[in-house]
Order: sequence, then structure tokens, then C-alpha cells
Amino acid sequence: MPQQLIKVRPTKIEMIKLRRRLSLASRIQKIVKDRLSILVMEFLQIAKETVEAKRKLLDEFSEAYRALSIAAGYHGYIALEKELLATERDLEIVTGSRNIAGARIPSFELKGDERAAKGYNIIDTSSWLDQIAQLSEKCLEDIIVLAELQSSLELLGREISRTKRIVNALEYLTIPSLQATIKFLYMKFEEKDREEKSRLKRVKVLLERG
Amino acid sequence: MLSELPYQRMLQECLRGELRVLNAHLPCEQKPLSDLLGEETASVVCNDGSTHLFKRKELEYLASMIDTDEQEALLLPMLIEVNPGQDEMAIMCRGEVEGKVISKILNMPATVKQNRIIIYKPQLALLRKSLKTTTQYLFAPKTSNELSSF
Repeated sequence: MPQQLIKVRPTKIEMIKLRRRLSLASRIQKIVKDRLSILVMEFLQIAKETVEAKRKLLDEFSEAYRALSIAAGYHGYIALEKELLATERDLEIVTGSRNIAGARIPSFELKGDERAAKGYNIIDTSSWLDQIAQLSEKCLEDIIVLAELQSSLELLGREISRTKRIVNALEYLTIPSLQATIKFLYMKFEEKDREEKSRLKRVKVLLERG
Repeated sequence: MLSELPYQRMLQECLRGELRVLNAHLPCEQKPLSDLLGEETASVVCNDGSTHLFKRKELEYLASMIDTDEQEALLLPMLIEVNPGQDEMAIMCRGEVEGKVISKILNMPATVKQNRIIIYKPQLALLRKSLKTTTQYLFAPKTSNELSSF
């Protein structure tokens, strides 16, 4: 593909400026490439963690539902529902953000005392209800972890595609056009030199004839 | 020859923004682990005004590895210096505590040289896996003034 030339005056000063710009562009390209490789590394790691978290959550859900059905059989639906109504409480989630190589991703953390009272009567209920409570709390924690991971994955993916475009633009547009312009200027200077030489030769011949 | 490529200008603007965000997330100050453990919501303020949140689990994990005196010496977040075009990265540290923590996490000896611990990409992945919020990247372009004037 022919490279687009930057419109500059064919002077030595412009040449020096262009060479400086080229060295800077290649340095920036290195930095952006490093950033891209870090983002990809983090993305892959988060993707792995997301798969694991999803699998874990599904296992915990199936376990919790199994325990719930056993408890429902033991207590009866109406009694269980009555007990479960008392367990409702507000959740407190601390939200913030963390930064991975310029990409800001969310951070969630469930706040609260794990050993806090569950809300139901321990004496009247069976250990199945305790088990459901424990499993549900685990599920809740994992849902929050999964939410964080999935949103991170999405944001990192977007950032990677953006950075990739920048790397490609530098690699296939900016740097080649700078190189092509520098080459063009070199050729211009050489041409000027040749013109100067032939002019001097011509003058010499004319002087010798005269 | 094309006159004043608008795409070139747009690209330069884009790059300028890129370099601006690169190190904007660095913390204004690092806090000792002991202080962070005492805070209700452990966090530090970053240069761009945002707040970097630490996970309590990570802080507790770090605290379990070192004793109380060392907890005061361990400054968080730990900074991982990324040098452009190089495969190795450096963890910036003040004392030996960071070396102790890193060697325990990576399960290999880590030597502190000129306030830096050199690690490579596979080790970085391991480190970031266990210390997500307690480490941060620091991009070190050699001539930052030049880069900002690009």
C-alpha cells in the first residue's frame, strides 16, 4: 500500500523534526503495545476466573436448591416461608473502582458480619434451614464476585479493542507515513545535490570555453 | 502528497490522551498495611482524584504472611514498574518486606536490588492473580516531557 506523505517543506529542519517525531512515535508504540499486552494478560486471567466463578455458582445454586427442597419437605412450605420472611435484611455492598493499566474497572465487596443473627428461630427450626442460610449467603457472595468479574471483562474487552486500534494506527499509518516522508525528503536532498553538482560542472565547462 | 491529514491530527490527540491516562491512576500516597487494616473501607486517593479500593481479603492475606512490625513497613499499593519494550518488570520497594511477601506468593526467592525486585511476565500473572487491588502498574516512559509534547 503506498504510504501517505506528510506535507512539509523540504528543509533540513523539517527533516530533523520528522526524525524526532518518528523516534517518539516508535517509543509511544512500545508503551502502548506493553499496555495492550498487560490488558490482554489481565483479560485472560479474568476470563478464566469468570468461568470458574460461574461453575462454582451453578454448583452452589444446585446445592442450595436441593437443601431448600429437603427443608420444604421437612417443615412444609407455609412454615418455611414464614421462617424465611424473617431472614430478609438489607445488603450493604461497598463499591469502588480499581485501575488496570488505565482501564478503570469496578470493585464490589459485600459488607457485613457473617456471624450476625439470621433472623429465624433456631430452636423451632431444623438444621436444614441453617444449611440453606449458609448456602444462600455463599451464593450471594459469589453473585457479587461474578458481577464484578463480568463487568471487568466487558470493560477490559472494550479497552483492548480501543488500544489495539491505536497500536494498529501507529504501526500501519503514523510510523510508515513518517518513514516514507523522511525517505522522500532524503531523495529530495540527494536530487538537489545532484542538480548542484551538474550545475557546477556546467559552469566549469562554460568557464573553460570562455 | 496529502495536505494536513486530519487523521494524523486525530491520532495525535488520541495518543496524547492515551499517555495522560497511563499513569493517572497512581496513588497520591502509599499507606502502610497496618493503617489500611484499621480503616473501615480501605482505600487510597489517586492522582486523577478517583479512589482506589482495597479488598479486605487481600489485606488479610498479606497480613497473615508478615508480623506486626512488617505490616507497618509494607506500603500499599505496591507499584509494578513497566519499562517499554522490556520483558522484565520491577516491583518498587523500600525495604525487605516486599521481597518477603513476593517470595512467599511466587514461591521463589526474590532479591531486592536498588529498591527493585525484578520479575517476568509469568510471575507477574501469578502475582496479579493473588494481589489484584494491592498492586498497581506504573508505566515509566524515559522522557515523559518529550512524550507529553508529542
